Amino acid sequence: MSAITASHLSKDYGDVRAVDDLSFTVESGTITAFLGPNGAGKTTTLRMILGLVTPTEGAAAIDGRAYTELEKPITKVGAVLEATAFHPALTARTHLRVLATAAGLGHARVGHVLDLVDLADAADRKVGHYSLGMRQRLALATALLGDPGVLILDEPANGLDPAGIHWLRGFLRAYAHEGGAVLVSTHVLTEIQQIADQVVIIARGALVRQATLTSGTNLEDLYLEATR
Amino acid sequence: MNGLIRAELLKARAGRTTWVLAAIAPLTCALWAVLPVFLLDLESAMPMEHRVENVYNMAQQAYVFTLVLGVLAMTGEYRHQTITWAFLVTPSRSRVVAAKLVASGLVGLAIAVVSALATLAAGAALLALRGHPMMTPQVPLVLLGAVASTTLYGLFGVALGALIRKQVVALVVALLWFMYGDYFLSSLLPDVGRWLPTGAARAVGGMHLESGALLPAWGGGLLFAAYVTTLVLAARLFTLRRDIT
Repeated sequence: MSAITASHLSKDYGDVRAVDDLSFTVESGTITAFLGPNGAGKTTTLRMILGLVTPTEGAAAIDGRAYTELEKPITKVGAVLEATAFHPALTARTHLRVLATAAGLGHARVGHVLDLVDLADAADRKVGHYSLGMRQRLALATALLGDPGVLILDEPANGLDPAGIHWLRGFLRAYAHEGGAVLVSTHVLTEIQQIADQVVIIARGALVRQATLTSGTNLEDLYLEATR
Repeated sequence: MNGLIRAELLKARAGRTTWVLAAIAPLTCALWAVLPVFLLDLESAMPMEHRVENVYNMAQQAYVFTLVLGVLAMTGEYRHQTITWAFLVTPSRSRVVAAKLVASGLVGLAIAVVSALATLAAGAALLALRGHPMMTPQVPLVLLGAVASTTLYGLFGVALGALIRKQVVALVVALLWFMYGDYFLSSLLPDVGRWLPTGAARAVGGMHLESGALLPAWGGGLLFAAYVTTLVLAARLFTLRRDIT
């Protein structure tokens, strides 16, 4: 069974078809780059997989089950969606504690994920004072809170400094090596080419290319040709 | 569910707004109690006992704070987009709202109790100072009723915020409705007013009016709860299931 399955996902917003009959799978132990021009429907697709947006047609599953049917979903799937989605008056530690409490997880995980993304020193500062990169790291920490086997990341490198990007690359590579599945949307092709096993390219909501990446593939050429 | 409620309480405790409003609520009630004490010097058809009870009834004025906190608790999630995290952790959106109702009820109850005690202290002191009777047998019930109605307003705020997700709109609707619309309707048309949320809440608090009778306290409580339930069901039907983008 695939870690992530999208089958015939479609989403209409009024007369506009944002996602059109999109199907793909992501296997455990691999990293899938999810690419496409701005407005291609990447974010909508990720949100449908996470049960936040209801598909007009089709369905998505994590380990064979719809996200909304999962028991303690954040222990199965971690997600990074927007860098800004925090209450500005809460500290990073409180934000994580709130979610850990809601999910019935121990608070030990809070300290662990703060260390993991190197935010321990800033953990008791209000998130409203964080830089974009720090928020992004907090979003990653939140995604990892439940120690999930699947990661769904929307532009995770956004705002990260070079050291952060280097760390993220190493982290994702190790995560997949240990059996995790990663679906990551990004525009930074040179970056993702270094770690991705598979690429799913969409344009105007529909799949235009799905391919396995080998060391000889030039991802930029592949992308530009597919989305032309 | 317990974890969800504890998480909501953690959020409420961590925000400064909760503490500021919780501090202002009892002060406001104490100030409100001044007016009916001075009105006691004027002639009125209302029996003295009722007029004394109306002094303590001012504990109900804490309603605006629990109402606003309820609205903020729910709409704040949408405003700051933290609703995304909430629904990722708990995909059952009804359970998220249910936890908010319980947590806002507990926060509201705490504010209501403190406000009732402040009203009691200020009211009793002022009444004694002006040489009026300080107590009637009904006063404990009046205060209990005020605590109940103030708490219920917090639930109303959460339910309204679930239906109207835009924070500013929800706040404006809530305040206009309770401070003006409902208030004037209740005053002008008591026969209609007793069936409105304000009338129901006043009944819970056992307020004595110059004109028009209110429902019995239990009837007012049930009616107010019915309003909250209707709002929650409307939210469930119309807004709660909407896409989170």
